[in-house]
Amino acid sequence: MRRAIRAYAPELLLVALIVLAAMWSSTLSPYFLNAVNLLNSAQFFVIFALMAFGLFPVVVQGEIDISLASTLAVGAVLMAKMSVAGIPLLVGLAITLAATAVLGAVNGVLVAHFGLPSLAVTLGTLGAYRGIAYLIAGDAGVTGITPDYLLLGSSWVGIVPSSVILALVVAAGFWVLMGRTAFGRYSYAIGASPGAARMAAVPVRRIRVSAYALAGAMAGLAGLVWVSQYQSARGDNADGAILFVLTAVVLGGVSIKGGTGKTEGVLLATILLGTIQTGMQLANVPGTSQRLVVGALLIASIGAPRVVHLARHAWTTSRRRLSPTAVAQD
Amino acid sequence: MRTQRQRKLAGVSVIAIAGMILAACSTTAPTAPGDDSGSSSSAESSGGDSPNPADIKIFMAPKFTGLAYFEVARAGGEKAGSELGIDFQYIGSDKPETTEQIATLTNAVPQSPDALVVSAIDGDAVAPALKEAMGKGIKVVTYDADAAADARDLFINQLSYELAAKTMLDAALLNSPDGGLVAFISASPTAPNHTAHVKIMKELIDTDPAYSSLSYVDTVQFAGDDATKSQQLALDLIQAHPDLKVIISSSAVSAPAAEQAIINAGKAGQVWATGFALPSSVRDFIKSGDSVAFALWDPAELGYVATIAAYQLVTGEITTDPGTVIDAGDAGQYTVLEGGEVQYNKPLMFTADNIDDFDF
Repeated sequence: MRRAIRAYAPELLLVALIVLAAMWSSTLSPYFLNAVNLLNSAQFFVIFALMAFGLFPVVVQGEIDISLASTLAVGAVLMAKMSVAGIPLLVGLAITLAATAVLGAVNGVLVAHFGLPSLAVTLGTLGAYRGIAYLIAGDAGVTGITPDYLLLGSSWVGIVPSSVILALVVAAGFWVLMGRTAFGRYSYAIGASPGAARMAAVPVRRIRVSAYALAGAMAGLAGLVWVSQYQSARGDNADGAILFVLTAVVLGGVSIKGGTGKTEGVLLATILLGTIQTGMQLANVPGTSQRLVVGALLIASIGAPRVVHLARHAWTTSRRRLSPTAVAQD
Repeated sequence: MRTQRQRKLAGVSVIAIAGMILAACSTTAPTAPGDDSGSSSSAESSGGDSPNPADIKIFMAPKFTGLAYFEVARAGGEKAGSELGIDFQYIGSDKPETTEQIATLTNAVPQSPDALVVSAIDGDAVAPALKEAMGKGIKVVTYDADAAADARDLFINQLSYELAAKTMLDAALLNSPDGGLVAFISASPTAPNHTAHVKIMKELIDTDPAYSSLSYVDTVQFAGDDATKSQQLALDLIQAHPDLKVIISSSAVSAPAAEQAIINAGKAGQVWATGFALPSSVRDFIKSGDSVAFALWDPAELGYVATIAAYQLVTGEITTDPGTVIDAGDAGQYTVLEGGEVQYNKPLMFTADNIDDFDF
């Protein structure tokens, strides 16, 4: 029991914070505690959740990809263009996923094979992919999306929006991928120590490129959700969204230095951020205060484990000082 | 053994979920328990004989909060709100992001406002959210930047594109009476009003004899309403085109920033920036003589008229039929045109003679 609590400490902290945030939100606004409204609000965070899941293995490997929002824009305008051109949904989706996976793989190759720093590489492609999105979409953007492309954003399973189900299915997929497959094990090993992983015959480059390609494909999938929800696409879609995505990953307990983090954490962090934003928006809290709360939360959540660690350290050293025999027992 | 069982379990659950989706998928939106009271209350207020103004709730949602231009428009909306005695609220995120605005609008709907007054960042992307609001009986009025025409009742257009283009070219000629080479800085390729302004300005320079002394740099630069980027672009333009006379921008951020860059570069009096700007942001330039003219309209009165129009739609005083007249008292009377557009069309030209008359 105690071991389970320790193993899931960041996740339990997030659950507690979600409960607190929900209670706070329901006092802020009488409209908060309404299942249908809550689930409809959850739709907005599907796009961010998909990108966060895609980014998660990359960060676990100790790298970063800040170009994902631009990749989403390429995916969204591609989907929209193909919808208008009359290409069937599944064909369009396959082409989009392939194209965005290639964009991701380009990042991966530059990082893994050329040894370039991932922040610099994806800072460059952030601009380049945004440019590609503008080139595909044209100045005016794309409207007149056909109904099959809109189905995902305008259908419900019971009272649950289909896109929310999609996010949960993807979460389950990443849980299996990161917890139950060689790809997951290798990712954690690479993040913990790339050198040791290479010595242990882990195909570091291939795993890195795969992670980036997967992240790109997830951004492409988020592009489908974008088109289906907003019934249009433009070159500037999701510009700036990477901050929210990165916040969700880090808040979810994924160390930015790599090697640790769980799928559950990323999912819970997205839910927490969604709960807080929805609550504050329902209460018409001014935008600046919303940002302050999210920023404070991020620092608190990454600071909390450190505080616990320092406190425990102080506790054990003081105990050792009190009883010199404890040192001998160690 | 254990992992095999878990894998089987995972497989079964994936199939079960897929089955659930196929079996239970519907394309009609579920309704919240609170929705009924919401729509009936707004239906009452729009259909009733004498609605109580205190029961009427109007939300104003700018593109994003914190920008001086929108805060001035907010003051106009608040003035209308207090005159009418209604519940007026200003909502929005401080981030200029489409997703933030859509979330704001969607979260506004359950609060059952009677009307939304909106300036859209991405007119097509906010359309589904606004249509959902309209479906719940909420009146939607856009101001400053329009949404898709079928996703709002009225659009209060500050200046027709044609008038805006002419106003900015007039301002350019006030600065550089002999004409000369002009360059454009827009916010982004996806800002429909900026794109239209530049297109019409180019056409006017090509065809209208009044502007024949001007010529233009064909490539349009984009600064994304960012002051630093506008300054850089302005400097680049000056260096790339030694005979450049005027930089024109529809962005109230870029126009003053470009003028500042010109002054910093020691080119004041040789090159001018103009276009739309808040008078407070260009007062110093005009008073020092570095700049002769900037233009705009009164954002406060625009916000006032938009809020009055929203109120009158809620009470049923006006409809969206072409020819309907909106009486905004001292702010004037406006006629609804085809497609629900209402043209405010009161350009202001700020010069040394009148710059002190404006306090926004």
